[in-house]
Amino acid sequence: MPELRPSLSGSLLTIALRDAREQARDRVLLWATLALVAAAAVSLVTGAIALHGDAATYAAARAQLLALGKDAAAIAAPEFYPLKLLRGTIEQIEIMGAVIALVAGYRAAAAERGRQTLALILTRPLPHWAYGLAKILGGAALAAVALALVLVATGLLLRLVSGIGLGFGDAGRLALTWAAGVFYLTALFTLGFGLSLWAKSPVSGLIYAFALWILVVLVAPQIGDTMDPDNQVAGGVFAQLSVPKAEQDRIKAGFAGYESFRNGIEVASVTKHFERFTFAVLGIKDTYTGAPLDKVLAEKRGDLLFLFLFSLGLGGVVLLKPINPDRLTKES
Amino acid sequence: MSPARILSRQALAGLARDRSVLILVAFFAAMVLVTAWLGWSATATVNAIYADAAAYLSGAGQPVPPNPVSTSAPLAVLRNLGVYISLIGAFGAIVIGQHLVEADRRAGTLPLIGAGPFARRDIALGKMRALVTATAAMMAVAGVIALGTLLTLPSLVVTGPDLGRLALFLLAGWAYVTTFGFLALGAAARLPATAAGLIAATVVWLVITFVLPELTANLHPTAAINPVTTLAATPDAGVFHLFSALLGPVSLAEGFAWLSGDLLGFLPEGLAPRGLVPPALALSVALVLSGLFAAQAATRLDLNAGGPDA
Repeated sequence: MPELRPSLSGSLLTIALRDAREQARDRVLLWATLALVAAAAVSLVTGAIALHGDAATYAAARAQLLALGKDAAAIAAPEFYPLKLLRGTIEQIEIMGAVIALVAGYRAAAAERGRQTLALILTRPLPHWAYGLAKILGGAALAAVALALVLVATGLLLRLVSGIGLGFGDAGRLALTWAAGVFYLTALFTLGFGLSLWAKSPVSGLIYAFALWILVVLVAPQIGDTMDPDNQVAGGVFAQLSVPKAEQDRIKAGFAGYESFRNGIEVASVTKHFERFTFAVLGIKDTYTGAPLDKVLAEKRGDLLFLFLFSLGLGGVVLLKPINPDRLTKES
Repeated sequence: MSPARILSRQALAGLARDRSVLILVAFFAAMVLVTAWLGWSATATVNAIYADAAAYLSGAGQPVPPNPVSTSAPLAVLRNLGVYISLIGAFGAIVIGQHLVEADRRAGTLPLIGAGPFARRDIALGKMRALVTATAAMMAVAGVIALGTLLTLPSLVVTGPDLGRLALFLLAGWAYVTTFGFLALGAAARLPATAAGLIAATVVWLVITFVLPELTANLHPTAAINPVTTLAATPDAGVFHLFSALLGPVSLAEGFAWLSGDLLGFLPEGLAPRGLVPPALALSVALVLSGLFAAQAATRLDLNAGGPDA
């Protein structure tokens, strides 16, 4: 009786909404999101305190120079851009947000396997890929809500600690950060979900997902970061040698092969693309501070495209790989 | 053979058959293998940059400062090893700790163990002994690989005292990862839900690695896992000095990074550890406390719970 069959889109929406609702009711994820808000707030406040300290040091040094009758222009004033204070927040989303997304993906698979409901769903006239797509859509909705909560909370806190309200342009930059973050977290949710669905036991899937997280989110960017000659010496090698900028560029040109290799390791990580895009959009990276948004987007669309294609590719793999009915039970 | 030893041997045999544990250990070994090359390659690049810069400064008639890395100790090429121990090693120990309880619970063998002629204390001791042995094996693998790569890298002269410092560093690494392994073992014993122990211990590890350094020294997460940038002085603000004094002893990741810098010879001159408690003492206390937690939780483990139908 075809009239009793729900449409494919109706089934997708039902599963996605049910999943998002169930995960939203789950206290573990609620507490995890609140922990991410707290970590982001800690980053913001400590960054603001450090900046305040820099400003006080500058004011004292400037007063001393003026008292000695010298030119205060000899020392550079610390620059204040409120969005730069979000550096720690972005890094916490990169790392802790990724863990939460992996755990959410694991729980989305483990819950169905544990209750044997997956076997029941698959007896319905629903393609396997549609079931996977519905789960990923539910995860994306969850990531969107959780990330919006984090960014709204830090945006409000930013106004409080900096005393400067965010303008329309700043809100637009935060919205772009949110969109990139949703792609990033959805990709990690998909990874956690796929591995927990396919592995012999969901816990093994979660362990594999965590191992990949360490490799992709922490180790690959860390290798690139520590291979940077400027990170080998406290304060930076060029700063310690007092070499002018033009000469720095000439010397760096002689190490183009090394730099390409180092950069290659960094860009193999999806996390680095998320970081480069958001650091540019928010003006955290000095070369993009105060730059117009259209210029930033023109230069950084490659990173956004990588994020999009990575999420799409990972989603495609999860949707195309058939679900093995022999592994539907929790501990099989 | 004592009951604790029998249980420990059985648990270790189970660990050796678990693919996820073996993959993590292999991943750890691979990263130890590349760490010396990474350090050597980066140091060689800075030396080459220094040679170029010195030529320019001499030509311009400017004073040439000393090479910032020429005085580095040979063990400093292993500076990334501390980071990989605190990331992959600690996570590996967490997985091992939770596996020691969860594997029996999932397989439904806890009631069988409970029906055997074992005291509760023996069960706890057996699990803890297996964990301590497994983490010691991980560090032994790291030591052998690190020593092998040190001896094969050109222009490095490793002396007897250097080897002593490397051994002490590996001992500190073992204490660090075993602390997290004990936490995971205790959490898995306390929390019967699947993977709850793994997630709980991972959350503690995340807070210690990425949140506490922000409070004590405004170190963002990526700076916290860079062996050089993590060794930064406490910012000159009252709040950071206060947090540093209060949280320094529990900020184990920073304490271990300081010990790594000190033992491997890349600690910036005059850099004091966070807080008043020396990191070696803080790490020892953390190991003992986490061991007591694991012992208490494993002694009270419900031996009738679990199984494939639970």
